Amino acid sequence: MTLPARITLRTVTSLLVISLLAFAVISAMPSDPVAIAIRAWNLPPDGATVAGLRSQWGLDRPFLERYGAWLARFVRGDWGLSFRTGEPVLAEFLQRLPLTMTMALSGLALAPLLAVPLGFLAALRPSGWIDRATRGLAVFVQAVPSIWLGLILLYVLGVQLRWIRPFTRDWNGLILPVALIALHSLAVLTRVYRRDLLDVTRQPFFRTALAKGLTRAGALWRHGHAHALYAMISAFRAEASWAVGSTAALEVLFGLPGIGQFLVESIAARDYPVLQAYVMVVAAWLLVLNAGVALCLAWLGPSRP
Amino acid sequence: MRRTLSTLALLMLGLMLIGAIWQPHDPDAVNLSMRFALPSPDHWLGTDQLGRDVLSRLMIGGWRTAVVLGCVAAIGMIGGTVFGVTAAMLEGWRGALILRAGEMFIVVPTLVVALTAAALFGLNPVTAGMAMGLAGIGPYTLLAHALARRLLAEPFVQAARALGVGGCGLVLRHVVPNMTPVLFAHIGANAGLAVTAYAALAFLGLGADPSKPDWGAMLFEYRMFIFDHPLLMVWPGLAIAMVAATLNAVFDAT
Repeated sequence: MTLPARITLRTVTSLLVISLLAFAVISAMPSDPVAIAIRAWNLPPDGATVAGLRSQWGLDRPFLERYGAWLARFVRGDWGLSFRTGEPVLAEFLQRLPLTMTMALSGLALAPLLAVPLGFLAALRPSGWIDRATRGLAVFVQAVPSIWLGLILLYVLGVQLRWIRPFTRDWNGLILPVALIALHSLAVLTRVYRRDLLDVTRQPFFRTALAKGLTRAGALWRHGHAHALYAMISAFRAEASWAVGSTAALEVLFGLPGIGQFLVESIAARDYPVLQAYVMVVAAWLLVLNAGVALCLAWLGPSRP
Repeated sequence: MRRTLSTLALLMLGLMLIGAIWQPHDPDAVNLSMRFALPSPDHWLGTDQLGRDVLSRLMIGGWRTAVVLGCVAAIGMIGGTVFGVTAAMLEGWRGALILRAGEMFIVVPTLVVALTAAALFGLNPVTAGMAMGLAGIGPYTLLAHALARRLLAEPFVQAARALGVGGCGLVLRHVVPNMTPVLFAHIGANAGLAVTAYAALAFLGLGADPSKPDWGAMLFEYRMFIFDHPLLMVWPGLAIAMVAATLNAVFDAT
């Protein structure tokens, strides 16, 4: 089997397992979805309605059959109706997903682009000011929660200095959340890139390159960059997972109508179709990112399986 | 340096545990004549919009954070050890299956699992800690497997096996005690992340009991007063950052 085929197979299997787990946990809930729907949609609470909804949702059938039916509907794009808004969940998500994805993906794209030059400069002069500054940044962002940093930046940049206008519907409102996501990943990725670049300087072949007349910067770029890039892209996976997980809190903090905020609003109404859809969307998103990273690594990697 | 850090960490842990049994004031006592008081000898960190003592609320939040940390560490240790050692003892497809499942769990973001758990069961330190612990089991299983594999090939384990020590005895007497410190250091290195993740969860307040002050929930509450009383939101954030930084520093040095 070729590598892309293997990665695709693994991604699809993982998605199926995650969907089964999520479906099992959500349907094991004590609260009855029919009761919630009757309350949420103001249906007449009589036996006919209950029986109708139960057979419509297949609640009287065994678990695996129910899961199969749900999966078939989900794949066809029928994600059910939201208990809270009464609208199709798919439409609600399609309306909000672009914002969440723009936020997380631009933050995540910005980080490696800045991490390479910063990490390179840090490795060029170990213990120089760039090296010390990036180390400080890494310690800082790993301890300070992004919501608090967001609040403080909101106060300093938005309230005191008035440099940005948060809570607006245009790109201005996205500056801070994107910057917060990028900053966290940037700090970690810079350190990983720098560490692996410095590992190379201890290798005999690096000394040979210097002896043959390459400058330190030239030798680092020619003989260390690919190696350090490989390590950085491996570390990117954990950062992507963190970034996607933290979008919900950032959306609530900055009042952005993305899928995380939609989930938070829906939870109070016990809106299980929305919860299930959220888990699926986030899992699919991360699995695709991971598959992309795996392909990147295979392409960059020294040995091919 | 090492000594100072450990002392600081122990001091902080002590403070967080004290919060379970004692606070300087009743954390829920509303006093509307004392709203937004600045720090004073009576209220060390001042009072909030209802005149409640901020320090007392922070201490309860600290205790709740400590419970989360305990749950995450316990589940990571026990789950990682059980699955990792089992995978190492069962060579072949059964071991491979456990490892595959562990790899799959690495992808799932901890925060999303914890978010789902909070949405379903309501937010409290135990469910949040258990959800985050379970979501984090994957990498620890792989690590424990690698450690156990190496230990099982060590001469002293081989000698014990040759002397007739059975599978269970071998694992409990010789393998597990030797891998616990390494596993614990790795879990500790991620403990700072658990503190900030729980803060993010409490900030969202999914199914949380609003009378229970979590640090993240306090940030959510006090963010309203960012214009007039910015000092209020400083305290919970500072508490989160200090605990996370201390944990990171302690386990980074090991």
